[in-house]
Amino acid sequence: MKFPFLTAKTKDFPGSEFERSNCPRRDNEGQAIVPIRSVGGKRIEAAEGTLHRGSLDAGALIECRELAHVYHTRLGEEIAAVRDITLSIDAGEFVCLLGPSGCGKTTLLNMVAGFLAPSAGKLRLNGDDIRCPAPDRGVVFQDYSLFPWLTVEANIAYGLLMAGVSAKRRKAAATELLELVGLPHIGAQYPFELSGGMKQRVAIARALATDPAVLLMDEPFAALDAMTRESLQRQLLDIWARTRKTVLFVTHNIGEAIFLASRVIVLSARPGRIVEDIRLPENFRPRKRTSPEFNRLYERLAKAIGVEGTE
Amino acid sequence: MSIALIFKGFFAHTLRELLSRHAFRLGALGLLSFAILWEIVSRSGWINPVMLPAPSVIARSSVELAANGELQQHVLNSLWRAFLGFAIGSILGLLLGVAMARLPRLHSLLNPLVQIFRAIPSLAFVPLAIFWFGIGETSKVILIAFGVFFPVWVNTYLGARDTNPLFSRAAASLGARGWRMLVFLILPAALPFIIAGTRIALGSALVLLVASELTGAQFGVGYLIQMSQQVFRVDHMFVGLITLGLLGFLFDYLFVCGLRKFLPWYGAENNHANGTRRMDGLKSGQD
Repeated sequence: MKFPFLTAKTKDFPGSEFERSNCPRRDNEGQAIVPIRSVGGKRIEAAEGTLHRGSLDAGALIECRELAHVYHTRLGEEIAAVRDITLSIDAGEFVCLLGPSGCGKTTLLNMVAGFLAPSAGKLRLNGDDIRCPAPDRGVVFQDYSLFPWLTVEANIAYGLLMAGVSAKRRKAAATELLELVGLPHIGAQYPFELSGGMKQRVAIARALATDPAVLLMDEPFAALDAMTRESLQRQLLDIWARTRKTVLFVTHNIGEAIFLASRVIVLSARPGRIVEDIRLPENFRPRKRTSPEFNRLYERLAKAIGVEGTE
Repeated sequence: MSIALIFKGFFAHTLRELLSRHAFRLGALGLLSFAILWEIVSRSGWINPVMLPAPSVIARSSVELAANGELQQHVLNSLWRAFLGFAIGSILGLLLGVAMARLPRLHSLLNPLVQIFRAIPSLAFVPLAIFWFGIGETSKVILIAFGVFFPVWVNTYLGARDTNPLFSRAAASLGARGWRMLVFLILPAALPFIIAGTRIALGSALVLLVASELTGAQFGVGYLIQMSQQVFRVDHMFVGLITLGLLGFLFDYLFVCGLRKFLPWYGAENNHANGTRRMDGLKSGQD
């Protein structure tokens, strides 16, 4: 996204490859840890050692250990997007990945989604290695990704259709999810008839339809105007409160991170490393942007990113 | 202020309505004046009326041809050939396009071959097709299918190869894999390309239809034109030409109507942004 000249030629999991690869279902418990995938033609051995299942944090939903991703440029140069990411996320957390542009936060999210293979390290969901995209990880993209040829309802029900759910139950689920995102009467419309904010709300509903273990959001509100963004942030918190989903939310907007997160993880500039990991007090909600506590956190995070108070 | 706005809105509305009716009337006027001019030129004596029969004469001839059922037979025969050739050619183009886009090895194997064949204008195959398959139906249908195949194939191939990675990622994260990925993502995502190819193929089908009928047939609009030339019935030639023009226009019109009805989203993203829902974008082949 940020570096198309780098990403264009990487062949990790472009649409055509993973769909043919034999993605194992999530039943590989106890299986030997193998290199997840070769990167750029070279097989990169995942770090072996004494690591075994559950060694990090038995209760964690998502575990990363010494996770790294290396891009290969066309000239064969290796550029590390993220490095040494060790992190565990518990169920129910709202985690914001915060960092400057190009710090690899989207790369990290794409690895969790299964779109990119880690070059080294471990990455697990519920104790299983993440090898490819699957409906247990719902993704909301920065760019509008609703399928233009489907109605809103069919877009939301897409994951259920893939799972072989009956038409009647798909319709019921879509109706329910449209209610959840506050758009009850637009099921028959097409994406081109919706505003940007509505599209992203439908995208959230679509990602929630398969009842994923985690909702991955890649700067979903970055393209929206400020007022729509604030309204969607409030709605997202409402949805989070009602569904208690684990959320991994990428943003470069400090205010957005403080407003939304129960935990903010700050990544340094490329190669991205964790420089700060702050749990925000839950009693500090709703988080008024004008409150002294908000400003104090803002200053601290701004310092961690290295922008010193400017946004 | 508000009254002025209301008036402005009102006039903008009526103006648009007037314009759209106006456009229709202007179109009719253009056609009519062309016919009148033609009629005058033909009757003026400046030109031999046998060489350029007047529209009224052509109209009478077409009524005659229609009355004894001859015209209908020509049209039906042509339509059937065009339909068969179009169906065979576009289905094959679609299948091979998708297969080559999804199987890189098949693409490497077949691509040079298909590209060379594509470079040969399909009209150049008319003599060979007659030599091989005679002047019967087979050669005509094969020729039309041949001409239809390439635009459908190349567009399907491009569409199925260059699926928007955002869509394939979204679909994969929703559980699409294998044949489901193909049927529920790659094919619909390639539809704009496939539609563009099919629309081009509609034109090629008519060209090859006439070319193959000119070489001989029992019935067919192209045959009507050819035979009329040999018996000096220039008016009948014009009947055939006008029929072809109307058929081509009708096909394209039906195509666009079908798109608007069944694929309302097609071309809508751009047009909607401009505040209009016209399908004009189709013509420029925006894809």
